[in-house]
Amino acid sequence: MQKLGDFKLPHFFNYPPYFTLQPIRDTREKQVQLWKELIIDYCKTQKVFVIGPEEEFPLFSNPVIERSLSHDAREVFLSALVQEGRAEWVDKGHKKCLILWLRIQDWADCILRFVKDNGFEDGVLTVEEIRSGIDSRGTELHGMDRTILMKALKLLEHKGKATIFKGTSADDEGVKFSA
Amino acid sequence: MRRRPGIGGLQTAAAARVWSSSSSSSPFPISSQSAQILILGFPLQDQYRLVGENVAKIRTDLMKEQLATFRSQLEDFARKHKNDIRKNPTFRAQFHEMCAKVGVDPLASNKGFWAELLGIGDFYYELGVQIVDICLATRSHNGGLINLQELCTLLCQRRKAARESVSEDDCLRAINKLKVLGSGFEVISVGKKKLVRSVPTELNKDHNEILELAQANGYVTVDEIERRFLWSSGRAVDALETLLEVSAIPSSFLPITAVPRILLKWFYFYLTMQEGLAMIDDGHKDGRRRYWFPCVSFSASVAAERP
Repeated sequence: MQKLGDFKLPHFFNYPPYFTLQPIRDTREKQVQLWKELIIDYCKTQKVFVIGPEEEFPLFSNPVIERSLSHDAREVFLSALVQEGRAEWVDKGHKKCLILWLRIQDWADCILRFVKDNGFEDGVLTVEEIRSGIDSRGTELHGMDRTILMKALKLLEHKGKATIFKGTSADDEGVKFSA
Repeated sequence: MRRRPGIGGLQTAAAARVWSSSSSSSPFPISSQSAQILILGFPLQDQYRLVGENVAKIRTDLMKEQLATFRSQLEDFARKHKNDIRKNPTFRAQFHEMCAKVGVDPLASNKGFWAELLGIGDFYYELGVQIVDICLATRSHNGGLINLQELCTLLCQRRKAARESVSEDDCLRAINKLKVLGSGFEVISVGKKKLVRSVPTELNKDHNEILELAQANGYVTVDEIERRFLWSSGRAVDALETLLEVSAIPSSFLPITAVPRILLKWFYFYLTMQEGLAMIDDGHKDGRRRYWFPCVSFSASVAAERP
């Protein structure tokens, strides 16, 4: 079986017609379903948070069978994920897409767990500390995308479980968690 | 001179008998002459009939006796080789062949002696359910056509726990039993391969020829078909369009109550089935559209492993 790094590619990835959008509804639905799963699986194991439909991405072409996804196909697959709430377009022009292999709600739960496990209730953390600090090492939060993290924090703020405020340095923000 | 009852007399008697029996409810006056003929004619007829019946009875008895002997021997045989029949697919196939030759169908009923003795009805019923399951699981990859060999391999994998291997012959028998579901299951020959069809589309000769051609590379192009079969391009495109769509609903359906409960899932799926047997591929650098046929090229055995 073909591999991308340590990622095991599914069999359909080697079957040329899966790289062409299928005209028949049910066949296409199946095709979209398989691609959605592949994209999510890949992003989750490889910690990929953002895909640009116009940029190079290992899943978008398969040199072994000399096929690559058309721009339309990429857009269709990513839009299908967006529709399910498992991805979000960053911009109106659809140049970048956030892949939410965990939904925002799930990320928010992760953060709360992290806060609880480390006794940060009523404490203050910077956004960068959550993403790349010593304490988050080994958790799902480590190395996560800043945009997604901010979305999760805003959700927590909305629920009254955190307060976001401007930090001392210009480009970092602080978060205060409430117990 | 009095006439003896000859052929004519007998005929009259027969006619009178028919007449009298057909109108026995209403008492008609019978002339004295015909009454006399009836009296004379009956015993003679009875004698003929008796002799005839006797011969027939002897023959039937003999036949019955022979059949009984044969049946008991076949039963003895089946009893003696019960384990072989169950465990050994080759032996089973030969046993079926033997039964077929003498007109016994061990699968005819689930309740009969054979089923009880061999548990063989259950065996094929179970096999049928598993075949339906496999066809269902692989359908999204192959569009509802699966290579018999592949089906058999998958079936063996699935039955590994039972440690009873099954042959293609068993598959064919089980599929044959599935025919009660209407026009759903069918085995078709394409070239040297046998394919099991679990979609409600009747494939015509054009489709079959295309499938056969596709076996070489897994795909065909319109050019290739036209060159090979000397068809007009309309004909090739027509056939390919059908293979892409395959959504015909069969004309005759059994009432839903006739479907065994365990197969209902499949049956509903069957009704809503729309996936094509072919997939298009426009990605080749020569720019020619390729029509791929997962049933002949994309390994469903691997596909089925994925949950």
